[in-house]
Amino acid sequence: MSNYDTVDSNEHPWLGRLVKVGLFLLAQGIAVLLVSFVALLVSFAPGWSAATEQASLLQPGDAKSGSLLLKDDGAYIEAIRLGIDIDITVSGPTLRTRVTQVFRNPTKDWVEATYVYPLATDGAVDTLKMVVGDRIIVGDIKERQQARAIYEQARRNGQKAALTEQERPNIFTNSVANIGPGETLLVQIEYQEPVHQSGNEYSLRVPLVVGPRYNPAPIVQSVDFRKDGSGWGATNSDPVPDRDRISPPVLDPAKNAPINPTSITVHLKAGYALAEVKSHHHNVKIESPDSTTRVVTLADGTVPADRDFELTWKPAAEKAPSVGLFREHVGDADYLLAFVTPPAAEQTAQKPLPREVAFVIDNSGSMGGTSIEQAKASLLYALGRLQPNDRFNVIRFDDTMDVLFPTSVPADTAHVGEATSFVGALQARGGTEMVPAMRAALTDKIGDTNMVRQIVFLTDGAIGNEQQLFETITAMRGRSRIFMVGIGSAPNTYLMTRASELGRGAFTHIGSVEQVEERMRGLFAKLENPAVTGLTAKFSDAKADVTPAIIPDIYRDEPLVLAAKLDKLAGSLEIKGRVGDRPWSVTLPLQNAAEGKGLSKLWARRKIGDAEVARTLHEMTPEDTDKTILALALDHQIVTRLTSLVAIDKTPSRPEGQPLKLSELPINLPAGWDFAKVFGERPQLTPTQLRERRVDAGQPAARRLAPVTPDAIRLPKTATSAELKMIAGLIMIVLALILFVFNRRQHLLTDAA
Amino acid sequence: MPRLISPLVLALVGTILFGDGAYIHAKAWLAQMLLERAFDRSVATGQPVKPWSWADTWPVARIEVKRIGASTIVLEGTSGQALAFGPGHLHQTVDAGERGVAIYAAHRDTHFRFLRDVAIGDVIDVTRSDGKRFRYRADSSAIVRFDASGIDPATQDFELVLATCWPFDAVTSGAERYLLHATLIGDGE
Repeated sequence: MSNYDTVDSNEHPWLGRLVKVGLFLLAQGIAVLLVSFVALLVSFAPGWSAATEQASLLQPGDAKSGSLLLKDDGAYIEAIRLGIDIDITVSGPTLRTRVTQVFRNPTKDWVEATYVYPLATDGAVDTLKMVVGDRIIVGDIKERQQARAIYEQARRNGQKAALTEQERPNIFTNSVANIGPGETLLVQIEYQEPVHQSGNEYSLRVPLVVGPRYNPAPIVQSVDFRKDGSGWGATNSDPVPDRDRISPPVLDPAKNAPINPTSITVHLKAGYALAEVKSHHHNVKIESPDSTTRVVTLADGTVPADRDFELTWKPAAEKAPSVGLFREHVGDADYLLAFVTPPAAEQTAQKPLPREVAFVIDNSGSMGGTSIEQAKASLLYALGRLQPNDRFNVIRFDDTMDVLFPTSVPADTAHVGEATSFVGALQARGGTEMVPAMRAALTDKIGDTNMVRQIVFLTDGAIGNEQQLFETITAMRGRSRIFMVGIGSAPNTYLMTRASELGRGAFTHIGSVEQVEERMRGLFAKLENPAVTGLTAKFSDAKADVTPAIIPDIYRDEPLVLAAKLDKLAGSLEIKGRVGDRPWSVTLPLQNAAEGKGLSKLWARRKIGDAEVARTLHEMTPEDTDKTILALALDHQIVTRLTSLVAIDKTPSRPEGQPLKLSELPINLPAGWDFAKVFGERPQLTPTQLRERRVDAGQPAARRLAPVTPDAIRLPKTATSAELKMIAGLIMIVLALILFVFNRRQHLLTDAA
Repeated sequence: MPRLISPLVLALVGTILFGDGAYIHAKAWLAQMLLERAFDRSVATGQPVKPWSWADTWPVARIEVKRIGASTIVLEGTSGQALAFGPGHLHQTVDAGERGVAIYAAHRDTHFRFLRDVAIGDVIDVTRSDGKRFRYRADSSAIVRFDASGIDPATQDFELVLATCWPFDAVTSGAERYLLHATLIGDGE
C-alpha cells in the first residue's frame, strides 16, 4: 500500500495530495460525530445504571438516620452513651451472667433509649434491675403486651422505667424511659445458662453484637400493585414481620470510632482441677487463686462490643469426667441436670457407610471480609477429607444460587478439583436468600439408602427469617442430616443450634482462620463416626418430666444433656442407647447428685425450646404452644417471646410538659465484616420505600410501619457490554486509521517541501 | 518509525475491544449449538446433561416462537456466567407448565433479541427437559424496573414471563426491563 501510494503520488502529485486531504477531513468529521455520540451515551449511563442508583440510596447513613429522624419529635438526639459490664460466674455445670448496661445522657433533653443486644441462645433471662441514683428497682415478669402497656404508661407519666423484651431467643431489646439531662441510669439483667461441653473441652460464649440481618422481601399475595399507595399494608406474608425491631442502626467503622465499650470478668469455678483456659478472640489476663478456680478479665480493660467472647477450658485430668449429675430443690419439686458422655465407638473392622454430602456455602455480603476466607478454608478442608467412594455436591448462595453439579458426583480427583476451583473463586456479595439453598441441599435426588446423606452448611446465619428456614428443614429433611458451621465474629447461634437440632445433626463455630482446622476436624469426627442412637432415659422411682422428651442422636465427643423435674429425689436414672451397633447403658443413682444452681430455670428454658420445636414440627398447635410457653415463663420468671420484664420507678422524675426524645442506640459492625458489602448492595430498602420514608420525615406525627416492598422477584441484569465494546473498538480503529493517514500526509508534505 | 506507534497501539486496542465484544456474541451463538445437543440428549435420557464438562449449569427447556422462527435453549439459574450462554430460568420460580409464573430471562442483544419481534397473540412453545411440551400465548408486555416487576409469584394461573433489558437498542445497561407475559393455552402436539 505504501508503495502504491508513493507511485501514485509521483504520477499525480498534487491531485493525490488533494484527495488525501479531502479524505482526512471527511474521516475527521465522522470521528467527531462518533465521539460526541459516545460522549452522549456515557453521560446518560449513570442515570440508567441500576447498580449506581441502588448503592447511593442504600447508604445506611441516609436510610437509617431517616428512620431515626422520624421518632417522636423528629429531631435526632446527639448520642446517648452506653457502657456494658459483663460478669460471669461459672459454678460447675451452669453459669450465671450479669449484664450491666450504663446509659449516660450527655444531652440537655429527657431521653428514651432503646438498645438491641444479643444474649446466649439457651440462656434464661430471669432478672431485671434498674438502678436510679442509690435506689434499686427490681423488675417483674409480665405478659408481653401487659408489660409494654405498663412501660408506656410510666413513660408518659414521666417515671423512669426499663423494659426487657425478647425478639429472638438470642436477640433482646432494652428500652429505658426518662433519662434526665446529664443523668446516668443502670440497667442490669441476669441469665442462667448451661456450660457447653465437647469431648474434653468446656466452653462458654457471650455474644456482644447482633450482626446486621438480611430480611428477605415479603411475597404479597393477591394485591393490586398500582403505585397509588393502596397496596401497602395489605400484606400478611412478610417473612420478617418484626424487621424494624431487629435492625438497629449500625455505625460504619470507617467513619466512626468503635462504640459501646464492654468489660468482661469471668469467675470460673469448675469444681475440678483446671488445665488450659483460653480466650479465643480477646486478650485476657488469667489469675489462679487455686487449682480449680480462675478469674479471667480483659487485658485491655474494655473492648468495643463487636464480636463474640469465647472462653474454653480443660480439666487437668487426662479425660474429662464422663458423667455429671446435679440437683436443685425449688418449691415442691426437685430439678435434675445430667451430663453423660457416651463412650466413643470402637473403630470397627467393617468400613463405615459411604456418604453423600451436600456442602452449602453462604457467599452473601455479610460474609465479606474475613468470614468468606474462613468459610472457604473450611470447605476446602472438607473437600480434602472426602473418600473416593463418597458422593458430594457444592451449592453456593447469596440472593442468587448455583448448584455445581446437577446431581451428587463421586468424590474422585477430577470432581474434587473442579469443586476446589469453584470454591476458590467465590466472592462475597449480595443478599442472603438461605431458604432456596437449603431446599436445594435437602432435595434427595439419588435416594440411595446405602449412603448416609449429610448436609454441611457454612454461614454466619445473618438472616431475620429464621422461622422460614426451620419450616423448610422440617418439611423436607427426609433422611438428610444437617451440620451447621457458624462462621465469623458474631454468628447467629440460635439459627445454628435450632437448624442442626431440627436437622438431627450437630454444629460448630469457626471464629477465625486459625480455628478452621481444629473445629473442622472435630466436625468430621462427628460426620465420619457412628452416632449414639435410640437413646432413652428412665427414672426407676421418681415421676419425671424430662427434656428433651425425645432424645436426639448424640455425635462423637458430645455429651447427652438431660434436664428433668422430679416429684422426689429417689432411685436412679437409667440411660440406654446404641453406640454404633452395640447396646450401651448407664445407671446413675440420684442421691449422688451434687447441689447445682438455677437448674429449674434451665429446665424451663429447655421446655420452652421443646415447645417451639414441636410447633415447627406441627406436633403442637400455635395456641397450645403459646399456652405452654406462657405458663412456664410466668412460673419460672423468665423472658420469652410472650413475656417481658418491666421495672418502674414509683416517683415521677420528668417534669410535666418537658418533651421526651427517643434514641435508638447504634451498634458496631461485627469485627471482620465489610460495611459496603453489607449495606452497599443489600436490598433492605427499595427506592420506593425510601421515598415513603422521606415523605414521612416531612410530617413527623405520621410515623407508620415501614412499608414493605410488594415484589419478591428481582429480574437479573440482561444486557451485555458487547455492543458498547464493539462500538468503542470500531471508533478506535477509525481513529488509528485517521492518525495513520494524517501522519503520512505530514510525511508527504515534508517530502514535497 | 515512532509516528507509526500511536496509530498501531490505538488500532490494536480497538481490535481487542471489538474482538471482546464480538466474542460475547460468538460465545452466545456457539454455546447454543452445544446446548441444543445437550438438550436433545437430556430429553432422550431424562437426565440433566451438561453441555460441556466444566459447565455449572444445564439446559432445562427450549423456547420456540414458530412464527418468527426463533428458538433458544434455557439454562438453570441466572448467574452472569449462565446468561452468557443462554436464557436462564429464575430458580425461585416454577417450571414451565406448573401453576404459578415461570420466568426466563436473557440478554436483549443475544438470545432474547427476538422478543422485539414477538407480537401479542403469538404462540410460544416451551419444551421441558423431560420432553413435555407446553403452548403459551403472548398476551401482554410491560416495561418495569428490575426491582418492581409487578409479577405475582403466587398466582393461581399458569403463566410464563420472558424478561430482558429495555430499551432493546441501548448500549449501556439500565434498570428497566421488558416483560412479555404469556398464558398457558394447552399442552403441545
